[in-house]
Amino acid sequence: MVANASRVSVAARWLGLAALLFGLIPALLAAIGGGYPFQVAITALIFVTLAVSLNLVTGTAGLLSLGHAGFFGVGAYAAALASTKLGWPFPLTLPLAAVAAAVVGVLVALPTMRLISIYFAVATLGIGEMIHVALLNWVSFTRGPMGIRAIPPIEVLGLDLSGVVGGYYAAAAVAAAGIFAVHRLTHSYYGNALRSLREDDQCAAAMGLNPVRLKIEAFGVSCAIAGAAGAVYAHTASFISPDSFRFEESILILAMIVVGGLGSLPGAVVGAVLLIVLPEALRGIGDFRMIAVGVFMFLSILFQPKGLLGEASAIALFRRQLGAAWRGDIQAGWK
Amino acid sequence: MRPEFKRLKTLALAAAALACGYAAPARAADPLLIGYQMPLSGDYSQYGEMFRNAAELQLKAFNAAGGVDGTPVQILYEDSKNDPKEGVNIARKFADNPRILAALGDFSSTVSMAAGEVYAKVGMAQLSQTASHPEFTKVSKYQFRNITTQAYEGPFTAKWIRQTGPKSVAIVSIQNDWGISAAEEFAKAFKAEGGSVTGIEYFNPGNRDFRSILTKVARAKPDAIYLCMFYEEAASALQQAKQLNVKAPVFSTSSLYSPKLIELGGDAVNGVRMASTFVPENPAPEVQGFVSNFKSAYGNAPNMFAAQAYDAVGIMLAALKAAGPKATREQVRDALAATTGYPGVTGKTSFDPQTREPAKTLAKMVVENGQFKVIE
Repeated sequence: MVANASRVSVAARWLGLAALLFGLIPALLAAIGGGYPFQVAITALIFVTLAVSLNLVTGTAGLLSLGHAGFFGVGAYAAALASTKLGWPFPLTLPLAAVAAAVVGVLVALPTMRLISIYFAVATLGIGEMIHVALLNWVSFTRGPMGIRAIPPIEVLGLDLSGVVGGYYAAAAVAAAGIFAVHRLTHSYYGNALRSLREDDQCAAAMGLNPVRLKIEAFGVSCAIAGAAGAVYAHTASFISPDSFRFEESILILAMIVVGGLGSLPGAVVGAVLLIVLPEALRGIGDFRMIAVGVFMFLSILFQPKGLLGEASAIALFRRQLGAAWRGDIQAGWK
Repeated sequence: MRPEFKRLKTLALAAAALACGYAAPARAADPLLIGYQMPLSGDYSQYGEMFRNAAELQLKAFNAAGGVDGTPVQILYEDSKNDPKEGVNIARKFADNPRILAALGDFSSTVSMAAGEVYAKVGMAQLSQTASHPEFTKVSKYQFRNITTQAYEGPFTAKWIRQTGPKSVAIVSIQNDWGISAAEEFAKAFKAEGGSVTGIEYFNPGNRDFRSILTKVARAKPDAIYLCMFYEEAASALQQAKQLNVKAPVFSTSSLYSPKLIELGGDAVNGVRMASTFVPENPAPEVQGFVSNFKSAYGNAPNMFAAQAYDAVGIMLAALKAAGPKATREQVRDALAATTGYPGVTGKTSFDPQTREPAKTLAKMVVENGQFKVIE
């Protein structure tokens, strides 16, 4: 990575990525024809954004979070409610969704960040479920299981992005912003500080870092990006209900960064694209397609424990995290 | 590096499979196409399987009888896993195929409505056999359903309860989109009939302990209890009501109508009364024909869901026939909207021209000595 960066100018690489995302890929999708390729691409980009944001927390900082779909849901509902009840346009609901998810994220992070390893994982699992149940049962505010319908499509400064192609560009822009933000955070001194937490947070504390603060910051940024993905989802789907933000979605996002490679930004992107596009591409084989996706995931973790492009082994990380409860040297889940 | 190659190979195979999938229908002798999205994998795959079986039965009979003026019809099935994001993808896929004239499905209201937003944008009729969300048909003029909603069933049962005597009723309902609308529609209708509602108690899906709810219900001393839930929960609720000696007569939504209710609930479910559209014991020839054909084709008796799908496909095929072999998507929608008195196995079905809500004839039923009985 670092060696490459010295050879190719950083700016040229970002420009190349932008050209790919905003030029080549839409051209290819248009060549396939119809709204279906663009629709799949929108879903893939939303999950790219989610995977990239989770990668910051789980891949880089080493915190196994099992409730990411909850923050995705907070963002989606913030955007949906602001646009349907207050008439806010997308350029306002997008930052609102990010802020709302970040605020909820930081609030729940304050107590839970003192938990370590499996205890943190279980706490985030609970938080994800709590958000889902709140969306489901707070009927007067979220309309509960009825969902929110007729969310206006995306419009930016008079530019109508209501079609699938417009939706693609909006989703691509948000995904690009998310990738850029996480890239800048992780490829810096700050990112190395987070990596040191992943490897050994007591050691990091001994070196003068403040693990709890770093974790809360990383978690807040991650939730903000997930919230922004929620806004894109709400405005492109036009209808959302709590069903879209269940535990299964959290696991799907986690699977994406595990398949792609923990701690690797390109890995998170590749993992998300694979796990969204593969089930669609396999429609031809009928009833067995989800089995094929499962086999693919199994083989990828079997032959590539670090994921396709990972910098940390998912199995080693999970073993360390989940095994902490049985280790003698850790007396409790608090630190 | 080998695993990468393996993955590339998987992708290449997938692409090839996809290409074949696209090519196959084009080679056939140009049948008319309709798309059907349903959960064929995941938690609700048994429903999708049932829908597909029922659809195939209906389709075979239709094509054998000459199809649309000699042109056969083909149904393309897609698996949504009951996942809204997949449902939307499928809707786009169907919309992209210019030969697909209309779509059926999906199973749950959530997925049907997410997909419905796409069908509304592209102008393609969508007929769901089960989506009961009160706002499903409000998405656009392209949404239809073959299930009477609680806005239809609630008032029917409310009237029935008032006729049998009870003046006050307690409602116990599952907390989801269907349950909330079922409870509210019933409460509204029951009050309109001059009765009173002592309270609505909601429980979360998956709950199996109803004792606290039932104690609360019994304390209010209602003349009757109305259950808005599915048979699994109802079996537990009714057994616990028996243990707590709650004696008020019980009425319920049609969703309790399943042999499983009796199997799971034993003698605790005796006396429960409900309205239903599909009754396999109905002596009408179309019902008996469907039940025996379904049994001989798949080895088990059809339930309410199979019947709903069977009629949904039947209504769609009748609309295709009415619109003719050269019809556009818009003409199919209009033909669907004009459906009146379709003689199906779930009763005669007509669509309201304004709201596109179905009207059906409902049957009154009671559980007696461990068996469902139709009462007059």
